[in-house]
Amino acid sequence: MPGDLVLVVEDTAAIARALRAALQARGYWVAVALSGAAGIDAAATDDPAAIILDLGLPDIDGVEVCRRIRSWSDVPIIVLTADDTEHRKVEALDEGADDYVTKPFSTPELLARLRVALRRRRSVDGEAADPVLQVGDLLVDVPHHAVSVGDVAVDLTPKEFSFLALLARHPGRVLTHRAILQAVWGPEYGSETQYLRVYASQIRKKLRDDPGSPRLITEPGVGYRLVDRAATAEG
Amino acid sequence: MRHRPLGRAGGAVVGVVSVVALAAALVPFRDHTSTATDALALVLPVVAAAWAGGRISALVTAAVAAMTLEVMFLPPFNTFKLDFFDDAVALGVFTIVALSVGTLVALEAERGQVAEQRAAEIEALYRERRTMEEEQQRLAAEKRALELVGDYRSALLRSVSHDLRTPLSTIRAVTSDLRDGTVYDAETRDELLDLVGDEADRLDRLVANLLSLSRIEAGSLAPERQAVPLDELLTDRVRKLNRVLMEARVQVDVPFTLPLADADYTLVDQVLTNLLENAARHSPSGGTIRVRAREHDGWIEVSVSDQGPGIDPADQSRIFEPFTRGQGSSSSGVGLTICRAIVEAHGGAITVHEADAGGAQFVFTLPVHRA
Repeated sequence: MPGDLVLVVEDTAAIARALRAALQARGYWVAVALSGAAGIDAAATDDPAAIILDLGLPDIDGVEVCRRIRSWSDVPIIVLTADDTEHRKVEALDEGADDYVTKPFSTPELLARLRVALRRRRSVDGEAADPVLQVGDLLVDVPHHAVSVGDVAVDLTPKEFSFLALLARHPGRVLTHRAILQAVWGPEYGSETQYLRVYASQIRKKLRDDPGSPRLITEPGVGYRLVDRAATAEG
Repeated sequence: MRHRPLGRAGGAVVGVVSVVALAAALVPFRDHTSTATDALALVLPVVAAAWAGGRISALVTAAVAAMTLEVMFLPPFNTFKLDFFDDAVALGVFTIVALSVGTLVALEAERGQVAEQRAAEIEALYRERRTMEEEQQRLAAEKRALELVGDYRSALLRSVSHDLRTPLSTIRAVTSDLRDGTVYDAETRDELLDLVGDEADRLDRLVANLLSLSRIEAGSLAPERQAVPLDELLTDRVRKLNRVLMEARVQVDVPFTLPLADADYTLVDQVLTNLLENAARHSPSGGTIRVRAREHDGWIEVSVSDQGPGIDPADQSRIFEPFTRGQGSSSSGVGLTICRAIVEAHGGAITVHEADAGGAQFVFTLPVHRA
């Protein structure tokens, strides 16, 4: 939201400058850190509303920066991955990053992800205790194990419900395969991604998701995210 | 394998012919020689036949020799008759001795032959093993070389894709933003357009380096020498790199008396571009980059020094190897490799030292142009 402070941690000066210009043009305040150490300091002192973090930093590894910031702050973190750090996005997400964008990225897409992250932070701050989760026209009533789309009730199995409720608790955010398996199936799970494929396709069918633009999005090789179609369209 | 240098028939022929010859030689004296002398002489052809044709030849020769002894040397002469019992005994003993000697000689010859053969076989096996070992070593060396080439290729690909993608990221970020219809004030818009221009220039320089690298690899880097005025080249290059060198102060120190260099203008330009870009990358903001050229013993010595962190003495020898990057450097790691290849193609040398001001100082030499 305009007026928020966004911290950009990026060692490539040209990209940092481009991001600063784009963010400022949309009314954000911008702080730039050109190294991991400076990024950690700025995250602690400036109290940013969101962080855009490059994984390929010269001094401290980006995943480590993410881990350290997460140890005291739940600020939304969007990681930027280049070709040589692409495989590490899952690691970054497991360390608490909210989302990732692959370089070369489109600025409007990065900004859309940023808006989702900021909105989620606000909703988490405001309605953390609300047991009924809402993502667009999808309602997930956690205490009653009830799900509805618009006015139509959807019948889910207990595992399907847990899967969907987990994603609904973090709307717009990518949850990694491992994170979902451990939360829904148990801590001894972690690599059974084929379960997730089956359950995700069942859930999509039951929610009557449009196959062209589903609510439940597969992030190939990474995990799943649940989005509010109406909100992404307008953003 | 039997020892039969002349074969059975050959051995027998040698034996029989020897018997006949000996007999012919001894017959005129048979009245004056003892039976023992004749018998001993006739053992010789048996030995010769045994050596030349083996046991069967010895046997045949012994029979012929016994008959010759009986007919020619035991009275009555020229008949198959024997007058005395002693002569019969002598003939019997002769036959047994001739057969035994023949057999023993043949066996000994065979044994010697077998030993020789074994030795030859062992020698052949040993040689074969040596050849195989050498072949194995050659294959292992080839495999290592191929692995090195593979490592080199993948390092090059990694480096290139990283280097191409960084400027592309900036270009895509800015253009996608502008296409989105974001409204910028004139100053920011100019800054963004400069960013795109700078990154496009960077890509251009990178592509030039890659082309040189491929020429170096193909062994086709041949400088097209001409008389190059280094002062002009330097001034022009510094002007073209003004945006890269924006945050540093550049001092060019070239005396107007400097002779022309005998060099390829484009290639030397590339060396200076890489060295200046390298210096800018490692210079602190506001630091001085000094470019100096002097004549020295028929060579022109050009140095580029910065006030950056310098290069660890331990790294100074490998800094020209491909894909060696300085601490925290975002360079491709091929620029200095190309510099070295170009300078050496001109017959010169390039080295790196600690600069007087504490940073790195690269020095390279080019030959003076002789009119």
